Amino acid sequence: MVRFLVGRVAQMAVLFVVFLSIVWLMLQAMPGDISDTLVGNPDIPLATRFELRERLGLDQPLLNQYVTYITNFFRGEMGVSFSRFPQDVSTVLWQALPRTLVLFLSATLLAFWLGFKTGKLIAWRRGAIAEKSLIVSGVFLQTVFYPWFAIVMLWLFGFFLGWFPIGRFIDSNVWQGSPYDSNDIFFAMILSALVAVVLYTVARLVIKRIANNLVTQDRLTTIAGVITVGALVGFWYLRPEWPYVFDIARHTVLPVVTLALVAFGATMLLTRGSMLETLGEDYILTARAKGVPDRVIRDRHAARNALLPVTTSLVLALSFVIGGGIVTETIFSWPGMGLIFLQAINVSDIPLAVGALSITGVLALVGHLVADILYAVLDPRIRIA
Amino acid sequence: MTSTLEHEPALSLESLENRQIDPTRPLLEVDRLVMHYKIKAGEVSAVEDVSFTVHQGEAVGLVGESGCGKTSIALSLLRLLPSNATYEQGEIRLNGENLLELSPEEMRQRRWKDIAMVFQGAMNSWNPVYRVGDQIREALDTHYRGAMTYAEQRAHMEKLFQAVGLPPAMLDRYPHEFSGGMRQRAVIAMALSCSPELIIADEPTTALDVIVQDQILKELKRIQAELGMSIIYISHDIAVIAEVTDSLGVMYAGKLVEYGPTADVFARPRHPYAYLLLRSTPSITGPRRQLAPLEGEPPDLLHPPTGCRFHPRCPFATERCATDVPPLEDIGGGHKVACWHHDRVPALEGALQR
Amino acid sequence: MTTVDDQNVHPAELGVPASGASARELTGGRGLAHTPLWRIRLRLLRRSLGITWGLFRQNRMGMFGLALIALFAVMAISHPILMATVWDPAIYDPVDGYDAVMTEFTVVENGALTDEASQIELNQARIELNPMVTVGQVVTIPTQPAPPTFEGEHWHILGTDVHGRDIMSQLLFSTRAAFFLGAVAAITTVLIATSIGAVAAYFGGFVDNALMRFADLILLMPLLPVLILLSAMFSMNMVILGIMIGVLSGFGGVAIVLKSQALAIKVKAFIDAAKVAGGSDWHVIFRHIVPNVLPLSFLFMMFGVTEAIAIESTLSFFGLLNVDMTWGLMIQSARDNGYLLSGTSYWWLLFPAGLAVSFLCFAFFLVGRGMDEVINPRLRAR
Repeated sequence: MVRFLVGRVAQMAVLFVVFLSIVWLMLQAMPGDISDTLVGNPDIPLATRFELRERLGLDQPLLNQYVTYITNFFRGEMGVSFSRFPQDVSTVLWQALPRTLVLFLSATLLAFWLGFKTGKLIAWRRGAIAEKSLIVSGVFLQTVFYPWFAIVMLWLFGFFLGWFPIGRFIDSNVWQGSPYDSNDIFFAMILSALVAVVLYTVARLVIKRIANNLVTQDRLTTIAGVITVGALVGFWYLRPEWPYVFDIARHTVLPVVTLALVAFGATMLLTRGSMLETLGEDYILTARAKGVPDRVIRDRHAARNALLPVTTSLVLALSFVIGGGIVTETIFSWPGMGLIFLQAINVSDIPLAVGALSITGVLALVGHLVADILYAVLDPRIRIA
Repeated sequence: MTSTLEHEPALSLESLENRQIDPTRPLLEVDRLVMHYKIKAGEVSAVEDVSFTVHQGEAVGLVGESGCGKTSIALSLLRLLPSNATYEQGEIRLNGENLLELSPEEMRQRRWKDIAMVFQGAMNSWNPVYRVGDQIREALDTHYRGAMTYAEQRAHMEKLFQAVGLPPAMLDRYPHEFSGGMRQRAVIAMALSCSPELIIADEPTTALDVIVQDQILKELKRIQAELGMSIIYISHDIAVIAEVTDSLGVMYAGKLVEYGPTADVFARPRHPYAYLLLRSTPSITGPRRQLAPLEGEPPDLLHPPTGCRFHPRCPFATERCATDVPPLEDIGGGHKVACWHHDRVPALEGALQR
Repeated sequence: MTTVDDQNVHPAELGVPASGASARELTGGRGLAHTPLWRIRLRLLRRSLGITWGLFRQNRMGMFGLALIALFAVMAISHPILMATVWDPAIYDPVDGYDAVMTEFTVVENGALTDEASQIELNQARIELNPMVTVGQVVTIPTQPAPPTFEGEHWHILGTDVHGRDIMSQLLFSTRAAFFLGAVAAITTVLIATSIGAVAAYFGGFVDNALMRFADLILLMPLLPVLILLSAMFSMNMVILGIMIGVLSGFGGVAIVLKSQALAIKVKAFIDAAKVAGGSDWHVIFRHIVPNVLPLSFLFMMFGVTEAIAIESTLSFFGLLNVDMTWGLMIQSARDNGYLLSGTSYWWLLFPAGLAVSFLCFAFFLVGRGMDEVINPRLRAR
């Protein structure tokens, strides 16, 4: 396992350098160079221009430029943003990163969890009306034009029904005169959520040991889940930061749900297909012959194996979630990396755009790695090999 | 289920070895069973009026070409048929109790505990993501929940593995770490785990190479004799069946056409199909003889032939064969044949040996 | 290299299950040796298409998708015809047309506006019309965006956009663009992925490894952000974008799936037969492996169209493409002019274009799923 991990991480590191190189090549392929963007005005004397090129190292041989670019990235130096001038690219991105991560992670997990459960159920009871309508809505969610869908969601729930705020990360009316910084509060929220997740996982493991019956196991797990969520909400409710925490939370719901819904459709359809394949396997017949109850066959035999291809697809979904994330952030004015990336593109802030793209590349890689490890944990045939 | 268990110390192979068996007592009686599959194009008559009896400690074989309904019968006995299958008629009695009248839940509790099954592809009988030991333990957990401790289960499983000739440490391995033969042995161990009275072995050795095949068959035969179990072998390979069974049934197109003591059926097949099937296999030990070709294809069970289902391929077919269904009649010594012309079959022997 | 084929025409080569295709039927009774090979091939192909079509026809959702695609195709064709016959280019041109539609508004008190599309505030009306207007009066003002009108000389079935251009015309015009882009992207994807998959599977070893690692890398690239960056740096039109999407997805995931399919074909006996009979590597790859991978390739073509249209629409929604008019651009212009939350009161700005993208993607996806069920029988309903 350790060897597998080390190998995989090494592979990913190499891939990442290649990825950075490709981004660099794209920059090189761009007509002109950065100095054109900065001092493109013909009134600026040529000497200034040469000076700038020298200062930026653009007069160096290409190989040197390349090496500097790569090493600087790993030192965390991604240059200065043009559009937010005094700020470093890394500072800008560092602030946006947690917001994007929360959006991605919660949407992915929600979509995956719900999609897997529903897909499992509709594959098990084929032919029901619920199956047909879920398939149609799943396909629709998967193929709907996402920016339009997000706009409609924002209009419907934010504007028409007024259940959620219309975009943005915080409501400035609430935060006026607040003694706290929104980033700090947000960070504390993430931390508390992580603690809750860890506690819940531990509880699940304990329940798995204690309960010998699958039905009680399910019931206890549900109770543990309710208690964890309750404790998390209760903890914040009793603290003075509550209004601010609540404000951030209600701004988070709509973008997360919107992004999750679309990924949900895909996961559900995939789980259903994969379940149907699994249900035709011989070991399902063996399990039935053993007298194993249907529920156990569904959950422990069929769904457990159907999970494998779904896990693989997590990797494919990743690219989708990243793309969807940019759209979501733009439409909901959610100040994450995607929004910053697009704003940078619109004002030709190349250092910021490239920085954001590179960090996105890191995210994609880490996501890949996680999916790989998950797969290896789930499938014993990989673990040994 | 648990009330009887409290008196038994635990599930053990030793107690089974002393099981009292009465070879004249019928264990499983299949009585005029009719089973159809409903598909879009109509009804497939997969099992048609099949009757046979398995006595305690008896090994029964069912042979026939593929698609003749052997596996359908096997799955019928456990009520594991797909949802489009219907039992049109007949009874399956285990110790006098009609399995077809049980509720799904009662039937579920009978499975594996009373009737276990060894499936065709041992490769695929194992769920790839669980350890083999855990999959056997699942059977024990299902039928003896609370009656055995973890350690007792483990000890029991180790004995099972020893009984089938596998090192007990293999219990902790995953299926993909087993060879084909080992997997099949492990399947047999799993079938034995709840000490059923009857094991159905559906093509237990088909996917294995000849040497392993032989080993597995010997193992099965030994275990069956030692533990006093009944067994139904299902195979298309007549040589395999002949070696290990007491009684032999020959199936054709969903019907049982001949049934009797193995030696008898083998030496004197009286149904033309059985005759041709047996003679289509070469024998090394017996006298040299010409192999009789079996021409034509098995019929389409969606539209089975009228009368005797074999008549379109039968060398003796008369008009009567096309209109009347021949009953399965005893021709002496428990040897039953469903043919209007069974007395004419010996003549074929002479014709072919010329 | 026809020796192999003359003696050994295997139906599987054309993706047909080797079901009793009698020689007589295939040769028209002239005997196998006297029939040209291409004719046998053609008959086999026709027969296989017939079987596939028969199976596909049973899939209701797939047929629905096909009908939707046909509908869109009619839309695409109708635009140039309408422009040449009924529609006056000065008014109906999707990009340069203009028509100020006279719309009726009811004048309401200041601040009592409930429906923007049919009411106007008193002050506003006084500024735009004349100072004598009173509350409750019905006034007609030239408007853009205007709701659907079926009056006067120029109908606007779906109203006009923020610049007074006919939405219906834009919608039909964009259909053609979407089809074109989808086709370019999907064909590029499949050409690349099929060749790569077949070559990697056939040669194995280093070639396989290199190609598959490269596919991993491409798969890792977040497609949309990369394309956004590229479109910001270079001016991209439909053809370039189509090829770009095709290349990126063709070298990535699709290649990996097609390779595993090709691998399954490679071990079949007829490949060995072809090699033994002296078939060169390329002959075996393109005459024996590729035809067998094709059904699956077509499947991915359908999904490829879906993806390409979605990406193109998103990029034009961000205003990053150098295109005249697309569905994405229609939504973008509504959003940029402050109609983001207009919802149902200006439904013709957001809904026709959004639904068009969604339904065309939906249609291709359904056809893809239908084909998937034909190729993969386990998914079929019992």
